[in-house]
Amino acid sequence: MKWVFQINEISLGPGIARTYALAGLGVLLVIYPLVVNDYWAMVGNFYGIYVLLGCSLNLIVGDAGLFNLGHAAFYAVGAYSTAILNTRWHVPTLVLLPLSAALAAMFAVVISKPILHLRGDYLCIVTIGFGEIVRIALYQNPFGLTGGPNGIFGIGRPSLFGFVFRRPWHYFYLIWAFVVLTIFAMRRLEESRLGRAWNCIREDDLAAEAMGIDTARLKLLAFALGAGVAGIAGNLFASNMTVIAPESFSFWESVLMFCIVVLGGPGSVPGVIIGAFGMFVLPELFRGFFLRSRLLVFGAAMVAMMLFRPEGLLPVQQWKRAAESRGEGARRAAAV
Amino acid sequence: MSRSRGIALFLLAIMIVGVGGCAQPKAEEKKPAAPAEPIKIGVQGPISGQWAFEGEGIARAVNLVAEQVNEKGGVLGRKIQVIQGDDKSDPKESALVAQKMVAEKVIAVVGSYASSLTEPASAIYDEAGIVHITPSSTATKLTTKGYKRFFRTCFLDDRQGLFAAEYFSKKGYKNLAVIHDNTTYAKGLAEWTKKYLEERGVKVVFFDAITPGEKDFTPTLTKVKAANPDAIYFTGYFPEGGLLCKQAKELKIQALFSGGNAVNNPEFVKIAGLDAAKGAIVTTEPLPGDLPYPEAKQFMEDYKKKYGDYPKSIWVILAADAMRLIVTAMEKTGSAEPAKIAEYLHTQVKDFPGISGPIIGFDEKGDRLGTIHKAYVVDDRGEFVPAP
Repeated sequence: MKWVFQINEISLGPGIARTYALAGLGVLLVIYPLVVNDYWAMVGNFYGIYVLLGCSLNLIVGDAGLFNLGHAAFYAVGAYSTAILNTRWHVPTLVLLPLSAALAAMFAVVISKPILHLRGDYLCIVTIGFGEIVRIALYQNPFGLTGGPNGIFGIGRPSLFGFVFRRPWHYFYLIWAFVVLTIFAMRRLEESRLGRAWNCIREDDLAAEAMGIDTARLKLLAFALGAGVAGIAGNLFASNMTVIAPESFSFWESVLMFCIVVLGGPGSVPGVIIGAFGMFVLPELFRGFFLRSRLLVFGAAMVAMMLFRPEGLLPVQQWKRAAESRGEGARRAAAV
Repeated sequence: MSRSRGIALFLLAIMIVGVGGCAQPKAEEKKPAAPAEPIKIGVQGPISGQWAFEGEGIARAVNLVAEQVNEKGGVLGRKIQVIQGDDKSDPKESALVAQKMVAEKVIAVVGSYASSLTEPASAIYDEAGIVHITPSSTATKLTTKGYKRFFRTCFLDDRQGLFAAEYFSKKGYKNLAVIHDNTTYAKGLAEWTKKYLEERGVKVVFFDAITPGEKDFTPTLTKVKAANPDAIYFTGYFPEGGLLCKQAKELKIQALFSGGNAVNNPEFVKIAGLDAAKGAIVTTEPLPGDLPYPEAKQFMEDYKKKYGDYPKSIWVILAADAMRLIVTAMEKTGSAEPAKIAEYLHTQVKDFPGISGPIIGFDEKGDRLGTIHKAYVVDDRGEFVPAP
């Protein structure tokens, strides 16, 4: 198990190399939309949205260890609340951003409260169910709100101090500003008392409770925060697209988000960035070449992944150590 | 650790060589393709995903027309190159495909299938000044945004309402009961039908909705019976349509039962039972096989020769018409400029022999004028046949 790329030390370790790497990435972010065409700027936009979604799910799956395969539901709540409030009452989409985050978080609290005592696979199955319920509800056009299979058209574009975000590269800066903000917040959260408490719950629910951690409350908080960030992603998605339809929030979308987290290494924010690249940007690069066999390549990559790097591409240090020294005792020790 | 670094570099090298190796021949391939640059026309549709069946048909139709034109030497002395884009039945992918089309510098695009797929793409094509024709997206909102180069070869739901109203008034019906199910589509169709019926002096004696998914509609039908109509027109979908038809028979309602194009499904006859369904009328776009025009017969055969099967849905035909219109516009104006093509479509199309029937023009919003709907009747064997 010596399959460790050097990049781990660069992106996670402190020091000069890391500073340079971050500065380089920052410069790349600023100039990227200026040098590429609209198509690649748009690919960058969706990449940003997937990083946001990956980060939000990472909070639930990676940090707190709660399997959630219905994350698209929270994303949908954010997007649809933005779309409905904007098209009916003409509330500006940027004003709706905190509101859609709050609505998604509230929705998460309501649906996850009764199911959080479930463990592992069982929780996973129930979240799949919720994701499907939300998607089917969108199709059914409840109270004439969601527009059924046609979706909602004509969502307003965001504007800031009179500047309207219109072209893909305008959106690029808006979306990536939120991505950078979220990544920063996630890193801070990871190192906080809250983050460590979540990690404890992930490693051993019972032990965490015995140590005086209020597991029920913290699990609920993980769901609410994760859903809130997904709501933000939904808002940005809706205003970027100006049209949303139920197909954008299918079960496949939840699977994609889950794969982003697992591919990158659960609990690791750099992992999410790499995971989203692998799951969204790479297939986009191959669009021209394998029109039909795209999914085949994708499946082969997933199998190879599970064989050679089950812990993810950029795993968290703790997990990496645990995975290396396979013993169960060592896993526990590393976690605490 | 040095071994792992070696592996990392090796993988990276493979990736770079792989991507580069894939990308370069493709770029070179395009250049020596023809003496004159080919004219690029895009077709965008859900080639995979839940509507793959329709997306594939649309792409095939456009490719077939392009092939036929190229065999005859192309248009304006140039070949047509079809750029195919799969939007996977997902609006997000549709926006990406549209940007890709713009980057490929296509002059016109045919697609996409559903309204939610066409909408995000149409905004992008409008901004880029590309001619955009959808063969199948019927949402009214699409043509209300003032896009000058957006057209559709399909018809809005109000056209079916117009056809139904004309059919009933021509056949001498005086009192109609119109029932819908509150979905956007069914309600819209019902309201249009009511409007056009009343304009023609036919009374709408009953107008109400049922709840989809219910099994017993006798309360509604009892009220219908009291209103004593000559005919019932149901604009919802076939499961409820079948039950309504069956229960109307059980209540001994003498009125003719009829439905909109969502009732056009063999299941309707099964649910209603042949006894009740016999003689029921359905207003719908014609099936491809029932199109009487010589262009249609020819196209059906060509399509079968190339793909081994007849086109199954009318949207395939409308996609072929969209492509033929673009080609004709280029021939007539002698130009591959999107602005000229759009102007031609807006002003010059008068009696174009479309496969789906004569195209008599487009209004200022880009909606197709006229109607191609037909009435079908359920015969003694329970099959839909063109009504006399």
